[in-house]
Amino acid sequence: MTSPGDGTPVKPPPSFSPGPARATSKSRYPDGQEVTHSIDAELAEARSPSSPTPLSATTAELPIRSASPHARSVRSSTPQLARSSLGSPFDGRFDGSEDIRSLIIRAFSPTVTVHASEDTDELVRNKGFRGGFCELIRPFGETVPGKVIIRDSVGSSRAWEDYGVRFVDLKGFGRSPPGRDSARDSPLAQIEEVLEKQLNSAEGPIGSSVPSKDVLGFPATTPLCKLFLRQLLSSTSAAPHETFGHPVASVITISSRNPAPLETLRQLYAESNTGDKRLPEWVNQEYLRYYVLIHDEERDDITESTKLYDQMKRHFGLHCHLLRLRSSQCVVTDDDSVQVPQCEWLSPQRTVIRETLVDLGTDDTPYLFDSDATAIRSFIRELIVQSVIPFMENRVAVWNDQVASRRRGISGRFMSMSRRWAGFGSGSRSGIGGSSGSGSGNYDSDQHFYSPDSPEAILRKMADFAVMLRDWKLSASTYEMIRSDFGNDKAWKYHAAAHEMCAVSTLLNPMAMSAKIKLESVDQMFETACYSYLTRCSDPTHALRCLALAVELLKSRGGSATESAARWAMRVMDFGLVGSVGQILFMERVAACYASKTPAGGAKWGARRRKAGMWSLFAADQWLKLGKPNLASACVEEAERLYGEVLETDGIFPMPEMQTFVDNLRHAVKVEYLEARGFDARDEPATEDPLDTEETSEKLEKIDKRNHRRSLIGLPGQLDAGNLKMTATVRDSENSPNDDFERA
Amino acid sequence: MSYYFTILSPTDTPIFNIAFGTSKGGGDGIARFRFPDTAQYMNQFIIHSSLDIVEEAQWTNGGMYLKHIDTYPPAAAYISAFLTPSGARFLLLHQPPQLPSGSSSGLGSSSLLGSSASTTRASSSSVAANPTSPQTEEAVRQFMNEVYESYVKTSMSPFYKQGMEIKSPVFRTKVTGAGKKWL
Amino acid sequence: MAAPPRHSSMMSTSNAGTLQSSTTDRQQAPQQLPTPQPTQGLRVPSNRKTIYDRHLNRSRNAESSRASFAYLFGEMVTYAQRRVTGIQDLEKRLNEQGYPLGLRLLDLLFYRSTSTSSSALSSSSTSSSPPNRPLRIITLLHLIHGPLWRLLFQRSADALEHSVSPDTPNEYMITDNDPLVNTYISVPREMNMLNCAAFVAGIIEGVCDGCGFEAKVSAHNQPTEMWPSRTVFLVRFGDSVMEREKVLERNGVK
Repeated sequence: MTSPGDGTPVKPPPSFSPGPARATSKSRYPDGQEVTHSIDAELAEARSPSSPTPLSATTAELPIRSASPHARSVRSSTPQLARSSLGSPFDGRFDGSEDIRSLIIRAFSPTVTVHASEDTDELVRNKGFRGGFCELIRPFGETVPGKVIIRDSVGSSRAWEDYGVRFVDLKGFGRSPPGRDSARDSPLAQIEEVLEKQLNSAEGPIGSSVPSKDVLGFPATTPLCKLFLRQLLSSTSAAPHETFGHPVASVITISSRNPAPLETLRQLYAESNTGDKRLPEWVNQEYLRYYVLIHDEERDDITESTKLYDQMKRHFGLHCHLLRLRSSQCVVTDDDSVQVPQCEWLSPQRTVIRETLVDLGTDDTPYLFDSDATAIRSFIRELIVQSVIPFMENRVAVWNDQVASRRRGISGRFMSMSRRWAGFGSGSRSGIGGSSGSGSGNYDSDQHFYSPDSPEAILRKMADFAVMLRDWKLSASTYEMIRSDFGNDKAWKYHAAAHEMCAVSTLLNPMAMSAKIKLESVDQMFETACYSYLTRCSDPTHALRCLALAVELLKSRGGSATESAARWAMRVMDFGLVGSVGQILFMERVAACYASKTPAGGAKWGARRRKAGMWSLFAADQWLKLGKPNLASACVEEAERLYGEVLETDGIFPMPEMQTFVDNLRHAVKVEYLEARGFDARDEPATEDPLDTEETSEKLEKIDKRNHRRSLIGLPGQLDAGNLKMTATVRDSENSPNDDFERA
Repeated sequence: MSYYFTILSPTDTPIFNIAFGTSKGGGDGIARFRFPDTAQYMNQFIIHSSLDIVEEAQWTNGGMYLKHIDTYPPAAAYISAFLTPSGARFLLLHQPPQLPSGSSSGLGSSSLLGSSASTTRASSSSVAANPTSPQTEEAVRQFMNEVYESYVKTSMSPFYKQGMEIKSPVFRTKVTGAGKKWL
Repeated sequence: MAAPPRHSSMMSTSNAGTLQSSTTDRQQAPQQLPTPQPTQGLRVPSNRKTIYDRHLNRSRNAESSRASFAYLFGEMVTYAQRRVTGIQDLEKRLNEQGYPLGLRLLDLLFYRSTSTSSSALSSSSTSSSPPNRPLRIITLLHLIHGPLWRLLFQRSADALEHSVSPDTPNEYMITDNDPLVNTYISVPREMNMLNCAAFVAGIIEGVCDGCGFEAKVSAHNQPTEMWPSRTVFLVRFGDSVMEREKVLERNGVK
């Protein structure tokens, strides 16, 4: 970085633009009356040449006594356009929340396990992918090239550009039991670690950059915040109570090197059903199997492979693919080398490992031949578009028809009701707290899960499928249907998760627009989910995920939902779910939530600029305490932008202690920023105490500014005041209020 | 319960400030805010930020007393507002005392969780122990009305111009008296 | 006409320093009287009663003598007329004298109607609940037309009209057939455009502005045979007020 000796001019961060002028008092009826004066003079001028009947005086420009507080915004120098032209009901969309929405939607992607034969992994390892076939295709699975068309439960289809799946190695699936939460290993601690690492890597794109602004001047969501959200959303491992981590399909792979291909495929299939690679009990075994033959372009004969592939199709049906790869390793210098994309969705644990590798310099980014990359992309596209999506659509239709409609129908309602009553009758021992003693009996209260074929589990799975297929209407109604059942069974994790997802689906569904009552019920669901997660299950990771989703989704709704969002963000801080970096990120989120609330319907009120500015300043303060002056500076700048519209004069707060706080903050940010840049503030001549000089110089500037303004505004007034006597001029020199009386 | 009362001119300039504590239920009338002494700017920030809400409520509610309009959850600070017809804003920040066990924590500490509920019992008989109860609303309304009377008297003085800081010690005494009487 | 005074005022600016000192010198003696030293606190009257100890409603029904008012107002006009450049300037000065009065009256008006059960403000309401701040133009104008006029002149104004022209939807007119302020004033022929009720216009402007309705108010002579001193107060609201009016209309705010 810049060393002091370099002599390169240090560019101060943007927030240090000229020390703001500070008026002693900006009273509404200023002693000097400069403002009123000049305007009235204007009026007089406008009037005098007009016709003698004042009634017909021109009203084209109606001068207003500008001392009125409501004229303030008219006078403010900030462009009004931004504020008024954005008065659409979807205000929130402009500040990058569409981006966040997509992130959230993609977080709930289908999981596909990869079960590769030894020879396949061997082949791939030769190509430089130590993690085997799964590692090779994983980054490609996260974005499926081209549009993916999905039909929802009522038969209308919609194309999605950003569809993806998560590939998981079957060997690692569910091995880490979902209950292990030692302090060091907890996902939350890992997330914090990732954030800190990211912050400390000076060259990192996030640590040093100031958040970019999009066209409309709204700050885009900071990259750090996105990183946090992505980490959080990928931190939860497969668990019984939600099926997002459960496999929707499994890719069984062999290579053309395999001596006994069909037998190996059969064996691999069998392994996934029984034996030590069997999935945990709570996973529904009814998932799609997809068979892939990898043809080694360099060693094997394609005719042989094609023959084998035809055989596979005959034995295993249509869900087969022939993937043609070159077996040699690709290096950067090769002509047609392509860099393998980075994995976006890695669990915090893996991210930590990767970061460490990067730090050690041992992680050389792998390269692939262009032909290989193309082959993998088309394989994944075919897998998803032709097999996974139709399979899921089909399952949803079947379950909807067989399980959900029965539950939804009269008998189902009666059933659940009678169940409840029966429970109440028999379970009178259980006291007032629970409405039923043992519930439906489908819930295994010792092992805390429903067997995968119970109606509850199937409905939950169906709803999860609907979420992954982005049919939020169906998912919301399904969660709605089952959420109370889980409560009756005291299946608290299921209960929490169903409430969480019900609220999330409701918010994601673009049709369910913001009826006020809806919003309240959504809030209520988040509340319940949060309570169940935290108090009944002590699961802070899921609670935090739930609240983070609440914040982002409510924020993206705009309008009064943004205030709700801000409240949830404050709750997160209150609960102490996040570490010091996370705490600040949530402060920034609060500010962003408030900032995204814009006046509705052309009114001048309804924005939350002051609140947003306040939180930005607090965030800046905290960044500074963490020793991140660059981020603090970005926050200060953001705060100034927010306050710009509500303050009389830029950067001048009416309240003295606030002003002191802001001045000190600005100064501290500046000093630390310069120091971080290798510029020692103490080297400045006559700077024994940087604070003092700063203060005085700022004061000087302030005085300068004010005088300047006075001369600008005051003068025309004086000129027009015509034959005012000398006393009139004296009034400007602030000696006593009596002057005004004398003047009048 | 601690109070921070501010009168703001129509251009948001504070023209009068006072901090005091409850005198009900054996209170000694001294304000004890949750922020450390070095962070007294917090009160001003909270008050200032609530102007967003005041501006909105101003045009939907024609009353002079707007009741409890805003909350700052991290510090359990509640804001009540009163608008004079000539555009001055009376803002009262009230904050229930912290749990005796709770360490004096600044912003964003987890110990603030749920403290308001239990403090209600701690400070008992105080009329304004629960910041959103109807009794509190009524007490604050009475307080505001009494201050309003003094404010009108101030503004009637030919030596007072609207928007000027109110420096009169008698006015301060009057406000303190109203605080003692109602809060 | 404007050139020489402008010049002189420039001169005065440059000489401000010396002039100021001379003025303060001259004012030294009388100033000792009214300005209390801040360090010594307030100058409390001998009976220990400050303005805060007086009841605001005491003078509520007390009328001031018409003669003394006429004399006082006459002096105000004379005072304002000094050093003016023309009729507009004079009217502006009168307006400025009225403006702060309007702001004060607003507070007093509301105080008096809250503290007593009688509904001085809204003629229709019978409840003792405090009156609402006016949010819409019409309520504001009714407030001026009724309660404010009664407070000042013991009677309501005579008419309240809205401009019929589509170009000026922001113009409203309040008519007083015989303004009290003009009763004892006869304007010389060469100043026939002058209407001293500009003072009252200032009051109205103060009330409007205090309530958050930016407006320009001017007084105009509209004599009829029956009412030779009939005066129309033209209230022109600012654009922001009209915009807000539309929003409130949509939101159904009364």
